[in-house]
Amino acid sequence: MSVDVGPVDDFPTKQMRIVDVGMRQIGIVRWGDRVFAVDNLCMHQGGPVCHGVLSGRLTASRPGELTLDESAPTLACPWHGWEFDLGTGRALLDARLRLRTFAARISDGRVLVDLR
Amino acid sequence: MYTGEIIDCDVHHARGSDEEFISYLSRGWREYVADRGPAGVVPLTVQDGLPNPHGFMRADTYPEGGGAPGSDFETLRRQLLDRANVRRAILTFGDDSHVSGHHNPYFATELARALNDWTIERWLPKDSRIASSILVACQLPDRAAAEIRRHADNDRMVQVMLVDNPYNYGFGHPVFHPIYEAAEETGRPIAIHGGAGGWANPASTGGGNVTLYFEAHTLWPQAMMTHLVSFISHGVFDKYPKLRLLLIEGGAAWLPSLMWRCDCDYKGLRREVPWLRRLPSEYVAEHVWLTTQPLEISPKREQIVELLSWMNGAERLVYSSDYPHWDADEVNHISAQLPQSWHRKVFFENAMKLYGWSEAALPSPQMANA
Repeated sequence: MSVDVGPVDDFPTKQMRIVDVGMRQIGIVRWGDRVFAVDNLCMHQGGPVCHGVLSGRLTASRPGELTLDESAPTLACPWHGWEFDLGTGRALLDARLRLRTFAARISDGRVLVDLR
Repeated sequence: MYTGEIIDCDVHHARGSDEEFISYLSRGWREYVADRGPAGVVPLTVQDGLPNPHGFMRADTYPEGGGAPGSDFETLRRQLLDRANVRRAILTFGDDSHVSGHHNPYFATELARALNDWTIERWLPKDSRIASSILVACQLPDRAAAEIRRHADNDRMVQVMLVDNPYNYGFGHPVFHPIYEAAEETGRPIAIHGGAGGWANPASTGGGNVTLYFEAHTLWPQAMMTHLVSFISHGVFDKYPKLRLLLIEGGAAWLPSLMWRCDCDYKGLRREVPWLRRLPSEYVAEHVWLTTQPLEISPKREQIVELLSWMNGAERLVYSSDYPHWDADEVNHISAQLPQSWHRKVFFENAMKLYGWSEAALPSPQMANA
């Protein structure tokens, strides 16, 4: 079931916006030409993950040489800082944990989320 | 009880006197330490401020002819090498090991160099079962690295020994990396010995300084924890992927809980250390070994065995006696604590892997005393 969560202009790129869909809160993120939708529930300890920090992926080839990978949207839970890959929902450092994600797309200027 | 082959990773040898050592210092440093009359010789060892009320040595290890425990080879041979099936005993110095506790970095560096030469000349020829640590002064890491490379071709100088910490940063800090570069290059493990928070250095424990030896000894694992987490945090094992680390005389049973905590914290704090490539516990499982002495003793034997199992103790533990110190562990004592299926690994095979030795690298039992 696809749900229309609003016009694309309501979702500034690289910003998290949380929408209510029925009983569920879903975080919507436009990132370049991609759209991500993720359940606002951290699978670590149940925190409101979509209220956390959204950024690219901080990486380093060696100690002290930080780089930011803008192609990898990453969400850090506000409770314990656990980071999740926004595309897959997987915790970066614990393969057992995965946020619930939903397929999302832009169609005719609207953002649609598939809740199946 | 275990009666098989043994590699003992922590045997403290000592000087019988200042005089037998001073000739190994350079001419200039001999002049520096020279007896100037009533003041005597400049102290060659760091003075310990926390006395053990019954002494630091096993009472029976004082040589009959005088001198410090560990200073007489025949006593050491009789009480240690010939008492069990020792294939190799690795010397780790006595009070002299605290060179990195000296305030004078140049003196410390010279002492380390001379102590290594004294060991090579006075100890290694006595018995083919004996090997030694390369003692380095951490105050000047570049000079320490040069000292390691100086012994690169001596296959009986088998590990790089760090004890005191001159700089109050964990040993993983980049300031120390030249030492690890040289250790990796020459194929020597880094061996951090108990007391690595500082013997003379005041920062021996977190949370506050200790005032009693009882506190200091009980809390020695704290320094090991600091250094191990420092190695991991600063990416030492990624920078030097062939480096092996041995933690001597810091206990072992604390490792599982530390790694559980470290792995968990990494998941929340990855942004601070994004250069790490693996979970902290995965680095430890590949790069780190711990000596058995002083083994923690639990109310029930199965408790310590289970705890050590969580750190893969059968593979990561190596035997050490700590002879001739007061808290030395006998072979029988350790073998009684550990499962029989671990014995040959802990007493022999794990050290062979740690040091990268083949059977051919060790003297055969009949060649002992050669």
